[in-house]
Amino acid sequence: MSKRIAVLVFPGTNSEEETLRLLRDCGGDAHLVHWSRASLLPKFDAYVLPGGFAYEDRIRAGAIAAHDEMMDYVIEGAREGKLVLGVCNGAQILLEAGLVPGTGEVRRPTAAFTRNGPVPHFICTHVWVKLAIDPARSPITAGLHRNELIPAWAAHGEGRLAADETHLRELDQNGHVAFVYAHPDGHVDASATPNQSALNAAALVNKEGNVLAIMPHPERDGWTFNHPDRRGRHGILEPSGGAVFFRSFVAGVHAR
Amino acid sequence: MKRSVAISLKIPDNAAYTTLTTLRRLGIDAARVERSEVWVVEDDGDERDFLARMESNETIFNPNKHRLVDLGIDRPRPGEVWIAERGAHDETREHLGGKRIAGISKARRYVGWRLVQSNGAPADDAVVRSAAELLLCNPATETALYEGSQ
Amino acid sequence: MLRPRPVRLLAELDTSGVALRSDELARIERTLGRAPSVVELHAFDAQWSEHCSYKSSRHHLKNLPTTGPRVVLGPAEDSGILHLGEHEGERYGIVIAHESHNHPSQVVPFEGAATGIGGIVRDVVCMGAEVIAVADPLRFGLVDDAQSHQRYVAQTAVDGISAYGNAIGVPNIAGDVYFDERFDDNCLVNVVAMGVVKESEIIHSYAPQGAAGWDIILVGKATDPSGFGGASFSSLTLDAADEESNKGAVQVPDPFLKNVLMRASYAVFGYLRQHNITAGFKDLGAGGIMGCSAEITSAGGYGADIDLDKVNVAIDSLKPEVIAIGETQERLIWVVPPAVTPQILRIYNDDFTLPQIAFNARAVVIGTVTQEKRYVLHYRGETVMNVDIDFLTGSIRDELPYEEIDVAREIVDEAPLVTGVQMDELLERVLSHRDVASREPLYRRYDSVVRGATVLPRGAGDAGVLAPVFGAPLGVALSVAGNPRYGRLNARAAGEHAVYEAVRKSVAVGARPIGLTDCLNFGNPRNPAHLGQFVASIEGLARAAGAFGTPFVSGNVSLYNESAGGNAVPASPIIACVGALTDVSTVVSTSLKQAGSVLYFIGTPQSALGGSVVIDVLGRHDPRLPAIDYDTVVPQHDMLLAAASANVLRAMHSIGNGGLLVALCEMAFPTLRRGIKPIGVQVDDPWQWTHGSVGDIEAFFGESGGFIVEVAAEDVEAFEGIADDIEGVHEIGVTIDQAVLAVDDEAFDLHRLRDMWMKPLREVYP
Repeated sequence: MSKRIAVLVFPGTNSEEETLRLLRDCGGDAHLVHWSRASLLPKFDAYVLPGGFAYEDRIRAGAIAAHDEMMDYVIEGAREGKLVLGVCNGAQILLEAGLVPGTGEVRRPTAAFTRNGPVPHFICTHVWVKLAIDPARSPITAGLHRNELIPAWAAHGEGRLAADETHLRELDQNGHVAFVYAHPDGHVDASATPNQSALNAAALVNKEGNVLAIMPHPERDGWTFNHPDRRGRHGILEPSGGAVFFRSFVAGVHAR
Repeated sequence: MKRSVAISLKIPDNAAYTTLTTLRRLGIDAARVERSEVWVVEDDGDERDFLARMESNETIFNPNKHRLVDLGIDRPRPGEVWIAERGAHDETREHLGGKRIAGISKARRYVGWRLVQSNGAPADDAVVRSAAELLLCNPATETALYEGSQ
Repeated sequence: MLRPRPVRLLAELDTSGVALRSDELARIERTLGRAPSVVELHAFDAQWSEHCSYKSSRHHLKNLPTTGPRVVLGPAEDSGILHLGEHEGERYGIVIAHESHNHPSQVVPFEGAATGIGGIVRDVVCMGAEVIAVADPLRFGLVDDAQSHQRYVAQTAVDGISAYGNAIGVPNIAGDVYFDERFDDNCLVNVVAMGVVKESEIIHSYAPQGAAGWDIILVGKATDPSGFGGASFSSLTLDAADEESNKGAVQVPDPFLKNVLMRASYAVFGYLRQHNITAGFKDLGAGGIMGCSAEITSAGGYGADIDLDKVNVAIDSLKPEVIAIGETQERLIWVVPPAVTPQILRIYNDDFTLPQIAFNARAVVIGTVTQEKRYVLHYRGETVMNVDIDFLTGSIRDELPYEEIDVAREIVDEAPLVTGVQMDELLERVLSHRDVASREPLYRRYDSVVRGATVLPRGAGDAGVLAPVFGAPLGVALSVAGNPRYGRLNARAAGEHAVYEAVRKSVAVGARPIGLTDCLNFGNPRNPAHLGQFVASIEGLARAAGAFGTPFVSGNVSLYNESAGGNAVPASPIIACVGALTDVSTVVSTSLKQAGSVLYFIGTPQSALGGSVVIDVLGRHDPRLPAIDYDTVVPQHDMLLAAASANVLRAMHSIGNGGLLVALCEMAFPTLRRGIKPIGVQVDDPWQWTHGSVGDIEAFFGESGGFIVEVAAEDVEAFEGIADDIEGVHEIGVTIDQAVLAVDDEAFDLHRLRDMWMKPLREVYP
């Protein structure tokens, strides 16, 4: 039996189509599940929360969506060990739901992707993210190389990791920072980080490794046509670039 | 001296509506939710033209869509919780939209929430606190101020 | 029975906000044979406003070319449609619409600009299309003073566009911005939306054949008092006092609801296709429920009978004229056979849960299409409107006098300009000019890549490019243009140049320009000089569009962009151009790719410096705008498109604001990034390609158009083969592996130049 992936659509989600297509192009048996069909979710083997503005990020990014009925099923599935991936707004929802970093109670966040610094504005800019954990630490990253660099687009107003100092140290030391922002040559420093995110963090993973929250969008640089400089090496309609991240996720789903 | 104002929308506040429906789904009893931007400022200017000076900064106040009231006190009233963001933002610069207001040296911004019961009375303290803990405040990055809290 | 409430029409005019003129009122009374009811009065006021009726502009607009082999739908409905290409036996169309939201954006910039995006997106959705891109040509006043109202408008309008477009998930892939004191009192916020549709699945904005007895379904936000008076509001002159009295006209955007509404509508499209049902679908804009329902039914040759009590409202106390005519955002109207009504209501209300998304939002049947061509409104058991529908929606015409524009024939010195300013200083001043400086601080606030179909986002090419049909190699480009420095000098030439620049930008990404839209932003049509500029601009647009074979498929007119003090905007014909790529793998971007390439300039240097940035920087005057020699330019464009298709162009950039050296800098700047190799430029002495026809200033800073292309050494032979026989192809230099711009024997540090270029807008958009 093929493992089935649900791509969740909250009211206000906006990246469901490209996320679905790239998962399928990477071999995933992926399907959209809308909020009015939340009860279908237990039948799926993995969950992807795509980007957007669920509930228009009213109050805070992800705050209301974290209480949506769909999240009851996601929280349940995460406990059972199902793989859960949140991209951008999906990542913000996972933090608000307390699933990532998962160091506190459910729906009592211990960290947040919050308003960008130094100015609190939305930014859309191409970035590179670098794997900052042992690939085997999470089944979602197991298909990547150590220190793998992945192209993506940062497109968010609230992507700066923030938490209190002790907690940030914990996140750093216990391998919760899955990806960091980097220059195209792999060098990591604050100038490669577009939003003043603490620890230069672009993605966090929970302790068990089955839930990962990534702010930039690898799926928006996921085909050769998204980045025509790759056309010498890949067909224009082929998955390439950020697709490597989704291939790894799909492989992780199949390996469960 | 410290002065404070609340700026709210006089056009429909979509965010307050979604907040109300979410709070109800979470079992919190409120008939109405009001949202405002609360400014607590350090003001050395003339008290008589304080409101006029605040209103002169169009990055925080546009008369076509906002109403502005002098709160008189610099802390929440019954039924209210004020949410402040912790962190490194330069308060004056960001919060006044990069625009100066004569006489004002410091400004602190809060999101003010006011919960009202169906009889028009402010919601009980316990209701306000659970609304903040469940939804309105992210303890990782924000601080909630209640009536009587310091 | 109609029992009109008597109104003292003329006496009420001052207080009711009605902008109808006394002769128009007399005509209404004469035709109805009685005084109109209050609702009728407001209905005619909206429907006969300039905004809805184009009464003083339509007879001029007919001079624009609107036909051609690529035109699937010309300017007749909410959007125009151009044929993009075929894939697996399906024909795909690009749906395009272009509007202004100038007046609201000056008063409440966030909501005004946001609802501009919201409205234009609905115009595209209602053609049965999926919305794939927006663009935002902006014109603001001078923003140097951080405390100024102009700065607030410029920042806040951008925030509104960003908040709305980002949330609905439509990438912003093109736009431009100019700052000029003539926009101090009247900003221009133009918005363009683009969609893609299978040509066999287009939904029209009219009741289809056989629609008598069909349901009229209102979908979306609950009607509230917001935006009442909007249609006439946008046709009135702004002054400070009006800002307060027109506050009822603030339109409230709800991108959250719109996001859901769009997706629900896509689901309805799927259902209708599956069951092979033809329906009508139209956006509510000016004139609200009345304007939309009257137009969608009358365009099909029908009438409408509507019960205002069935409208979902936000508050109970609304007057019938507010329900009928108010411009609450986020609403659309369907005309469908009654048999499918339950399914459509289910999709909106249950599957996509509209009532839970916004207060009392929903889809609801509000009336029926009638055979009899009357427009009838009922409210609380009374008939509050009953008029001949064609009289209501039919063309009214206002032939106003205008002056032929007279471009002063000044005696000019044709000798090359001598400045006494060092080249490096001049280059820095031009690069940091407000019309040249990097736009990145502004456009990085827009999501340029949502939907995952973006090929060239903002900043990567002269036009934004998408791969709009997933799984197909088709590409579509979108560019915008309109130079107010030209508009100040010569309205006719400004029109021509707007088309030329938009077309040139499309060519610069390797996309064949296939069609245009226009938004014509001018002053008061009752001022013969202003109307004369409008008429002259149309002549210029028509001339250029004819020469390039790019018809206009939709457009918009925004008049009365004038403050009470008489400060009118410069003639501002703003153009969007749609380009087509058969194979998106032949797309060309701006950034230089490697050292050792040959650089060519394609174009003809001219001595005219009128309207150029360098003239402004030097504080000089030149009345001459560059001439456009279509016989030379059109073959150049064809050659460049052929070269792009043959994959021999590594990079390409059109020459615009600031001229040739600025264009070269802009090609090199993206390579100055940590972790990649910088690429610089070595430019020859301009004598090499001008042969003395113009001076150095004209060659380096003139804005007569043209292109720079990068050709790799191994492709030079192929390129020169393609360019053989083409006039105006000049080899001007090479790319080098140092971060410098070397001009003859001088070398300028590109990092320093880039910093100068980045700084000005960073201050406005930190």
